[in-house]
Amino acid sequence: MEHRRLRNGRGVLSMTRLAPKPSSAVEPFFIGFEPYYRPIGEEIDIYEAAYRERLPVMLKGPTGCGKTRFLEHMAWRLRRPLITVAASEDMTAADLVGRYLLLSGETVWRDGPLTVAVREGAICYIDEIVEARQDTTVAIHPLTDARRVLPLEKRNEQIAAHPDFQLVISYNPGYQSAVKDLKESTKQRFVAIDFGFPSAEVEAEIVARESGLDTDVARVLVLVAERSRNLRGHGLEEGASTRTLIHAARLARQGLSLKAAVESAVVLPLTDEEDLRGALREAIDACLP
Amino acid sequence: MSALRETSPVEELTARLAGRRALEGAAVAASRRAGEAGDWVDGASALLHANAGETALLAFLRAVDGGDGFGAAGTALADICRETNARMVLTAIEAWQRLGRPHWWATLTRLAREAPESFALVLNHAGTALAAGGEPGFTDFVAVGLKAGGADAARRRRFFALEDPLARRTLSRGVNDGFAANERRLATFLTALVGRVPFLRPFPTPPGRPPARRVSIADGVILFPDSFPGAPADTIDRLYRAAAAHAAAHRMFGASRWKLGSLKPLQVSLIGLMEDARVEALAMLRFPGLRRLWAPFHVARTEGGTAPALLARMARALFEPGFHDPHGFVVKARRLFDEADKTGPAVMRAIGGLIGNDLGQMRVQFNARDWVIEPAYRDDNLGLWDFEGEPQSSEAIELMIDAARVRQEEGDGRVEPAAAHERVGRARPAPAALEESIVLARYPEWDRAHGVERLDWTCVRAALPRTGDARRIDALLDGAPDLRRRVRRLARSARAGRLTRLRRQAEGHDLDVDALVEEAVRAATGETPDGRVYRASAPRLRDLATVVLMDVSESTREASVLEMERLAVSLLGDALDAAHDPVALLAFASDGRERVGLTRVKDFDEPFGPTARSRLAGLESGLSTRLGAALRHAGSELERRRAFRRLVLVMTDAEPSDIDVTDPLDLIEDAARAVTRLRDRGMDVLGVAMGEGAAHRAAGIFGRAGYVTVARPTELPRRFADLYFRLSRR
Repeated sequence: MEHRRLRNGRGVLSMTRLAPKPSSAVEPFFIGFEPYYRPIGEEIDIYEAAYRERLPVMLKGPTGCGKTRFLEHMAWRLRRPLITVAASEDMTAADLVGRYLLLSGETVWRDGPLTVAVREGAICYIDEIVEARQDTTVAIHPLTDARRVLPLEKRNEQIAAHPDFQLVISYNPGYQSAVKDLKESTKQRFVAIDFGFPSAEVEAEIVARESGLDTDVARVLVLVAERSRNLRGHGLEEGASTRTLIHAARLARQGLSLKAAVESAVVLPLTDEEDLRGALREAIDACLP
Repeated sequence: MSALRETSPVEELTARLAGRRALEGAAVAASRRAGEAGDWVDGASALLHANAGETALLAFLRAVDGGDGFGAAGTALADICRETNARMVLTAIEAWQRLGRPHWWATLTRLAREAPESFALVLNHAGTALAAGGEPGFTDFVAVGLKAGGADAARRRRFFALEDPLARRTLSRGVNDGFAANERRLATFLTALVGRVPFLRPFPTPPGRPPARRVSIADGVILFPDSFPGAPADTIDRLYRAAAAHAAAHRMFGASRWKLGSLKPLQVSLIGLMEDARVEALAMLRFPGLRRLWAPFHVARTEGGTAPALLARMARALFEPGFHDPHGFVVKARRLFDEADKTGPAVMRAIGGLIGNDLGQMRVQFNARDWVIEPAYRDDNLGLWDFEGEPQSSEAIELMIDAARVRQEEGDGRVEPAAAHERVGRARPAPAALEESIVLARYPEWDRAHGVERLDWTCVRAALPRTGDARRIDALLDGAPDLRRRVRRLARSARAGRLTRLRRQAEGHDLDVDALVEEAVRAATGETPDGRVYRASAPRLRDLATVVLMDVSESTREASVLEMERLAVSLLGDALDAAHDPVALLAFASDGRERVGLTRVKDFDEPFGPTARSRLAGLESGLSTRLGAALRHAGSELERRRAFRRLVLVMTDAEPSDIDVTDPLDLIEDAARAVTRLRDRGMDVLGVAMGEGAAHRAAGIFGRAGYVTVARPTELPRRFADLYFRLSRR
């Protein structure tokens, strides 16, 4: 009951009053204002169900289709702090879990972002998890099954996850290669939500909303994006994402011609191959009024 | 120069013409026109010397009288007369006048000298050659014919009679080598626009017919003419694009075919134009920018009452709202079109039939045979009609049916590329005799029975690559976008530049926090600090040169092993080329120990472009597998490359055999020894065993860790990944 009231309610402040006061460690990770998110399917219901069961979630989808935005929105909706870790090849298990540091001659344990989330009951979001090395990825395994614990080997300690803690990873299937892929044992621990690009009408709405551009012009941009997405696998690795469209729309809002905005935000970032670029440009030109 | 002479050349000429009144008169007229001296006088004298005869001379003098700059042709005509006969002089002059006075005399002189028997034939087709490529095209046509025919008069005759396909190709190519140059880009453009990979093909030119002038669409295949004769060079790319976009409009908004029924040719043409306007209108609703692409080609003006002119005016009026044409017919056509329901084609047929009657009543002559649709980017609209079982009413419609049939045959060939390929394969002569080809090297071979290596036992020879259709390879790659992407990414990520992070280093760009803490703890507890507290990164530069050996022996025909090899090599060649890794593609097949043929599909520094692709497409199964010799040769080629890592990748069904070898184990052991020797010399040898059952044989040759098996094409990326893993582990 309390939960429902909060969701309809009057923002974060009222919630922080009602919820058990979070420690200062996660205070900055609360999202204060509602991030705009336009649902395209059942993803909100699925996520809420998964969260109620505290199941780990995997967000799949091409770059720039709104995975991160969705999670920000959900964290705001659920009134949970969101701790984001951008995975990289450089990242070690210690970067995730924590390490001893030196403080005036003494070693002091400092929690990593994952450990903070586990202790304080935040949502921990590991972005582009495939970028991390596989031995790093294994560190999250005990958190993703019924145990819900995080072993801290260096401290010889095992911490049980806070009841509100949840782990979310993002995963771009187009990005995977046979060499760089999630281990099967990692993949199967997650509930997956698949993000595609929304329908043209919805995407235009999103572009217009995010950029402040006229919906009619946004529709043209979506048409442009479809041209580039048609070339996926035929020269292009990925088509233009919703994010690139928003960039183009913002350039256009600054008074740039649509042609120039699309060139800078869509065509040039996508490819350097002269012939492909030429053909893409020609197909895009057919979309522009 | 003649002023100082006692008798001027023209006086001399007239003196020699004295008594022949017609000639005298013509000469006087010519001198009035072209002056008392000059080339024409010399030309006429030369013709006289050459015994050109009265008629030819008269024709020459009249031509001089008729226009400027003809005089210089006289000496050329005299040469032609000497090499052929006086009738050819007449023919040449006649053709010159008919074809707009081309500057072709040097070419014709050469032709008369080198191929007098074909002179008349060339003049017969000169019009086509000039129309296709102008004077340079004509000169090119003659030069190609002379070269192709060589000393064989009969072959030259065949060429110039256009019986040789090369001749037709040369003619149709013209000067703007449009389609070939534009094909890839058009395919990408259409893929982006429509969302499906289009089938684009050059328009086949049947023997004895002039090359196509417009695009044609048949069963999803878009046939492009090799060039658009007469289009200015700077608009040619745009014209192809406009044509492609128009074809796309038909594809996106067109409907099923119409029965021809009892429609007259004029109605057929009108309905086609109506449908064109309809699909374009719908396409422009969705893609407004297409108007910019198409508009420049609508150049009809409000004049001319012939049927072609009226059709072009109507086409423009339907396309361009701002174009005002007062002609009653055009006004009516436009009104009907504007009022019509454009969501389906049915109304277009009705309107087309209706206004066709109008035009018929105006007694406008329409010759469907000569009519070419305008604007030039539009297709011939034959694809709109269903000719099956139609009563063949008029000649024009028969012609259309013929044309459609030609295309359908072409289309059939395309649907089953493998089958078509096989047909071609059987028709071709056996591979160029290997005995005469260049010897690349001799290699030893293992004699199992005696346990020795026989020196210089095998002879590796360069086999001439047969060329196939490079588009087959493109189609293979386009047909497997996911495989392609994955293999590309694999090659790229395995290539260079991926930095490995090193921890606990003595120097580096970054402090290693964990090492630092341990260091401090060590210092605090009295241990000796070792100072290695940095993180560094080292580029794991993969400097890799690869030779891919393809087994193309007869046994690869079974279970389409060769096709799988072709796909694998296409993917690999494409990926390694994109990653700028040097890779050579060699195919081998043997015919006894003296004839181990090696086909160079692609050399290290060659791009994996159309040439390499067409060679890859041209590979055919045949002969035997002398794997050891091929391996040794690949090794010796690779050894000359400067690279950190060297890899020989062998695609084979792992079944070595040859006609002069009775013990199959002989060649297996020999291959295994060759593999070992290459590995001893620091090269990596990996086998890709193709097809079911190849696995156990491959283990005997490449060692248990030295091969992967691929039974189905879909396994390729994963297997390639395995290979790269193996490569990086070693």
